[in-house]
Amino acid sequence: MPEAISVVLIIVPFLAALASLLTRSSACRSFLVITTVCGLATCSLLLQASPACGGKWAGIIAPLIAGGDFLLLAVMFFLGCRYRHPLIVMLTAGQLALFAWLEFSVFAGGSHGPALFAVDALSLTMVRVVCIVGGLICLHALPYMQAHERHLQLDRSRQPQFFAVLLLFLGAMNGLVLTNHLAHFYFFFELTTLCSFLLIGHDNTDEAVAKALTALWMNGLGGLLLLLAIWGLYSQSAMLDMTGLVATAGGHGAAMLPLVMLLLAAFTKSAQLPWQKWLLGAMVAPTPTSALLHSSTMVKAGVYLALRFAPALAGTLLAQGLVLAGGFTFVAAAALAIGQRNAKKVLAYSTISNLGLIFACAGIGTPAAVAAGMLLILFHAVSKGLLFLCVGTAEQQVHSRDIEVMRGLCAIMPVTAMISVLAALTLIVPPFGMLLGKWLVFEAGADNIVFYLMLVLGSSFTVLYWVRLAGTLLAGGETAAARAEAQPLLTRWPLAVLACGAVLLVLGAPALHGRLLAALAPLFGPMTAFPAGPPFAAGRAGVLLTAQGAFPLASLFVAAALVALLALAAARQAMAGKKGRAYLAGANTELPDHFRGPMNRPVRAVVENYYLAPLLGEKRWTRWVNLAAAGLLLFMLGGGLWP
Amino acid sequence: MAVMRTAVIALAVLWAATLLGGLLSGLDRRLTARLQARRGPPLTQPFWDVIKLLAKERVVTNPWQAFSPVATLAAAATALVLFVCQGDLLVILFVHATGGVFLVLGAMASPSPYSQTGGQRELWQMLCCETLLFLFAGALYLTTGSFRVSGVLALPEPLLDRLPLLFLAFLFALTVKMRKSPFDLAGSHHAHQELVRGVYTEYAGPHLGLLEIAHWLEVMLYLAICSLFWATNVAAMILLPLAAFGAVIVLDNVAARLTWRWMLGRGWAAVFAAAALNLFWLKG
Repeated sequence: MPEAISVVLIIVPFLAALASLLTRSSACRSFLVITTVCGLATCSLLLQASPACGGKWAGIIAPLIAGGDFLLLAVMFFLGCRYRHPLIVMLTAGQLALFAWLEFSVFAGGSHGPALFAVDALSLTMVRVVCIVGGLICLHALPYMQAHERHLQLDRSRQPQFFAVLLLFLGAMNGLVLTNHLAHFYFFFELTTLCSFLLIGHDNTDEAVAKALTALWMNGLGGLLLLLAIWGLYSQSAMLDMTGLVATAGGHGAAMLPLVMLLLAAFTKSAQLPWQKWLLGAMVAPTPTSALLHSSTMVKAGVYLALRFAPALAGTLLAQGLVLAGGFTFVAAAALAIGQRNAKKVLAYSTISNLGLIFACAGIGTPAAVAAGMLLILFHAVSKGLLFLCVGTAEQQVHSRDIEVMRGLCAIMPVTAMISVLAALTLIVPPFGMLLGKWLVFEAGADNIVFYLMLVLGSSFTVLYWVRLAGTLLAGGETAAARAEAQPLLTRWPLAVLACGAVLLVLGAPALHGRLLAALAPLFGPMTAFPAGPPFAAGRAGVLLTAQGAFPLASLFVAAALVALLALAAARQAMAGKKGRAYLAGANTELPDHFRGPMNRPVRAVVENYYLAPLLGEKRWTRWVNLAAAGLLLFMLGGGLWP
Repeated sequence: MAVMRTAVIALAVLWAATLLGGLLSGLDRRLTARLQARRGPPLTQPFWDVIKLLAKERVVTNPWQAFSPVATLAAAATALVLFVCQGDLLVILFVHATGGVFLVLGAMASPSPYSQTGGQRELWQMLCCETLLFLFAGALYLTTGSFRVSGVLALPEPLLDRLPLLFLAFLFALTVKMRKSPFDLAGSHHAHQELVRGVYTEYAGPHLGLLEIAHWLEVMLYLAICSLFWATNVAAMILLPLAAFGAVIVLDNVAARLTWRWMLGRGWAAVFAAAALNLFWLKG
């Protein structure tokens, strides 16, 4: 059964993508996308863990994927030629040559027939994130893209291609997380690269194409590194079975080289410093693209790869380097986010920062840390997806990404603004999931003081820029007068479902964490056994216990719910009472945010946030931060290859 | 049964902490008055002030000004209860920070430039306090192997011996938290150096009263954390926080306000480095 569902999860999006390409009618397209997304979400929920399966499909699927690989690389090579981008041409030509050689001479000799799929708690979590969060983003894209094209006034709709690529992306991600065959993993990895290129460049403006090409060459480099890693791993153990490789890979000195390559590939995919440029550039794309790239697909593929191979890294110097490199990205990207007044860039830096934290989890390399990393992936996907959809909708309305232009958004778009504030709060406030995950990382990583310092600084910076962004959206005059803005059903429902998920999903966190730990513990072997018994079985109900502390999740959640009700009642009561006016030194006018200025003229009271642009600005720091990050990567490399 | 017991303990703790916090605030005003050659109000004056505030009419410009005080007070109370239950210090600090988050959101929800500036400054102040307290939590872990408050109480020797630099950093955080000069940037008790009332500008009547109580509870939490530095002896657990409190008030009266740039760029950077050094030294 799991293999049949796995095949459906991968094949159906491909077929739906094809159908979308052929459909010109917008009603048919909506129907197609809605049914596909509902089907995928249901399948992802029906899927169950199973160690290794799918042997009988190998005969059909393996040649298909090998053929697909050549097609994919040929397309990328052609794109490189068409846009006259020598780097892309070289990178894809290298990949083509290497892949052809591997496929026809190296792999052909060995007895490689690993099971096609392996579904464990990690891949199950990822599949659900991809299908449900990613699916909701696709639904939200239906009305969004219509408005987008109305705004662009195109002669011929380009939505068929757009939705085809969106659906293809979901299929590629499903394949990537479900497969157990490393060469197939490479195919899906490259497929996400191509999809992201097509999505970023969708609007076909010069800027969009330039940014898409950046994404293509950087991720092409990642693909080449991954292919080299696969070659290295295969030459060590003569197999492509991922579960087997996780158990056997690694060693000393040069034997670590494939794992180093693998991590570097993951770093480019997840846009870690110094490769953040492509993800920042990806912001030119329509909102559903950035929401998809940031929350449930693409960048999550890199961290997933690192978490998957965490057992092979555990205890090595390479892993320690990874902790520092990830921790550095966490702090540096958070600091850069403070210096940003472009809302979408704040979101982008925050994604990069959180992904750094997840890489550090892979480096800490205990089952508890890797499980914390998976929880971070899940909760980040939900909250960040929600935020991107909201900010994108706001951008469509105010025609700017500047935070200062969005000041007081709650007066024009109260629903969008309130959901954004809620989503930002779920990223920084207990008892919600991101904070729970961060708490687990604090507990798992406190032995390394340098990393602990990074954690402390990064978390505090994170609180600062989110509160500032949320506060700016609320800053305004009269909110009572504001009416809930009209939204199409397909905009409102995905937002509502994601918002409920962002708030409520944390209740399932203890169970999920337990399941992840149970799946991960055997991979790490007896070396990292838990101090005493299963970690969460002990203790009172609703309290997460670790060796170092306790998180009273149930009581905090109940308390938060009660407080929210009380506070809402207080707010309602206060709004029913007497209305005051903002303090403007007593010189108020009829307008809520204007004071009486010279000649009795109303003057708008303008205060902008501190962005510390001269101190933390992107222009000033990007070069140095990149240098430092590259230095840390070299350090990691050195640590990995140290005999 | 266990739930009932916890609830009774929680209520008792909150009642006692509010009483003590209010009295300390009264003591603060008396001491300050004496330092300025005035008589000062009676010790119970803060309670009368708060009672009067709570009895006033609710006037807001924005629903967040009513929402935030409730959330801020609840966060302060929850953090204190968790502390008394000897919970995980990291969780306590996370919950405590939530109070600040809502205080700032409420302040930023008003178009008033005074309130906005106060909110921004409060964010920098939070950054200073939170980071230093998290370093203390790290020190707790390095000495006891656990983030739980209960671990410290079992130590044979006072933590202060091994954490002198961190204690200095803690005093810095206490000054910032108590809104005392030279770091009373976001909202001061002294009218002569105040930008209206900073982060509190838009809060009035009962809402301001709730925030005042929340502030007492927050200061009580800080003093409780301060007592952990010398947790081997009950007398020391009372005297050390009192001494720290007195020192902050004296500093308040002899220092003028510094800018937030100074607080962040010189003050915080220096004490953060010192506290980090202390952590390395603890491990080495």
